[in-house]
Amino acid sequence: MTMQGQAEIYDLGYQSYEGPREGRSRARRAVFENGVRTLLGIGRGGRAKILPVLLFLGAISPALVFVLILSIVPEGDFVPGPSDYYGIVGTLLVIFAAVMAPELLLSDRQYNVLQLYLVRPLTSTDYVAARFLAFFFVVLALVYSGQIILQAGLILTADEQLEYLRDNWLDIPRFLAAGVVYALFITAIPLAVTTVISRRAYVAALVIGAFLVSSFFTDSLIAGNCTETVTVQGDDIAREVECTPIIGDSAPYVALANLFQTPANISDLIFDVESGSPSGTEVAKLNAAFPVATYIALTLLPCLLLWQRYRRLAL
Amino acid sequence: MADLLEARGLTKHYGPTIALDNATFSVQSGITGLLGPNGAGKSTAMKLFLGLIRPTSGAATIMGAEPYSSPDGRARVGYMPEHDALPPNVTATEFLMHMAQVSGLPPAFARMRTADTLRHVGLEEERYRPLGGYSTGMKQRVKLAQALVHDPVLVLLDEPTAGLDPSGRDEMLELIKRTRHAFNISIMLSTHLLGDVERAADAVVVLESGAVSRQGSVAQFTAETESLLVEIADRRDEFTAALHAKGVVPIERGHMLVVEGAGDAEYDLIRDAVVESSARLRRLTPQRGTLTDIFRDGPA
Repeated sequence: MTMQGQAEIYDLGYQSYEGPREGRSRARRAVFENGVRTLLGIGRGGRAKILPVLLFLGAISPALVFVLILSIVPEGDFVPGPSDYYGIVGTLLVIFAAVMAPELLLSDRQYNVLQLYLVRPLTSTDYVAARFLAFFFVVLALVYSGQIILQAGLILTADEQLEYLRDNWLDIPRFLAAGVVYALFITAIPLAVTTVISRRAYVAALVIGAFLVSSFFTDSLIAGNCTETVTVQGDDIAREVECTPIIGDSAPYVALANLFQTPANISDLIFDVESGSPSGTEVAKLNAAFPVATYIALTLLPCLLLWQRYRRLAL
Repeated sequence: MADLLEARGLTKHYGPTIALDNATFSVQSGITGLLGPNGAGKSTAMKLFLGLIRPTSGAATIMGAEPYSSPDGRARVGYMPEHDALPPNVTATEFLMHMAQVSGLPPAFARMRTADTLRHVGLEEERYRPLGGYSTGMKQRVKLAQALVHDPVLVLLDEPTAGLDPSGRDEMLELIKRTRHAFNISIMLSTHLLGDVERAADAVVVLESGAVSRQGSVAQFTAETESLLVEIADRRDEFTAALHAKGVVPIERGHMLVVEGAGDAEYDLIRDAVVESSARLRRLTPQRGTLTDIFRDGPA
């Protein structure tokens, strides 16, 4: 027996919405979640996913390689530890931030979508804070992913895993804290640059250029004439680099201008290690308050610029 | 009836330029046209009501709340901008769902409202296509849909027929009327096209050089131009003379005569003039002018 002729379709017409309205808190969450989706290319075409995937693979591949080496050569002391890892992927993180920051903030301005946000229960501060947090969240995930793989590899390839954990447990809170330091710094500067430059390529070029130039400039001034002393005692090989900076005593202060090194200086303080880079070595000669103050200033000022520019944005 | 929008002495200066000058008007439920030429202050008024900018002096309130300082008051307001405001690389569904959530709707409800709203604006079939590939008419519909997706009490439409061909314009105006009458959502329609206001609006606020020059219901405006159209078969000159004798000067329009006013007094005068002149009355019909007629004659 068929049911033919018994079914009817009713057009109920327009239905008013009687459900919950969660106001500003929902609006902030929505902007945050949309920011994460935008950065990862979710809900967009295939091309939007290529860059995030490549950069993510780039950020974790050193860790995968190190873990692979450790699994083959368990005594591989030459494999970098958690304190060195951020320095290794730092350039990649800067490239990611420089390329993706315009995608997150410039697109909304370029396509006039921003005004559609600001006529809803959302202030410009809510908007920019939610976007900032979305960017920070994705960069942090990128920063942590490699470290987590490396940590897991170090633990699993150790002869005595529990013993390794007992001896090195401090590395975990340290890499978590240092990750926040890196992610915050790498988030603040590129996002602030998008408020003063409205072309994607120029934003990316300026951010990457600023990091590279500051690094090259400071390292060149500091390095001056360096001599490397290699001491061999049995199986141990010790290398010591001694440089005479061409700028003399002001070298440690000049070294503070190295943008790549700014979060690394704080990371070195967190891990309580000596820096391997010339800039880091010079900064280490200063009181810890100097690199900390530099870091805070170079993170806070872009945040303030970002906030101010969005508060005064003419729509 | 409570005012949905109210401007009290609303003034906005951009440096030395006065965009809006001491404007006072109110908007009730229904469709209200905000009419004026380019540079009259329509967009500035819209931005003030949406809380995008702060007034130099005076107050703009929307459903009793001051929109600039109380963002929560904007939760039941929709806005359709004049210019393109759509990200090209996302689908209509993705975009509308996001906008519904930014208006405060939880995700599950936002999903349902998105499907419903896209159906109502006629974009059900196209909902999974990236917005960058949409035609101008489709983009206008998406802009309207994002303004309606959270079921607002009031939507502000900025030049909704801009860039549309005649059939697209007809469809958009029909959609606007349906939004009011079927969805029960009030509308403020900002436009420089008198025809749009005439076809869709119940009330009109006219802005000229930043100031309100007229406001009221469209019916009230057109009532001012109400007249009687008289067609006389013969003895037309005698009929005209009889009207002159009663102090009425009819206007000749082809073979018809137009007598201003359409009240009982005007009907009585015409009846008496017909009797006195022994003219043969062929047609007597009331007529109303259009907004175009009113505004062509200049400000009141």
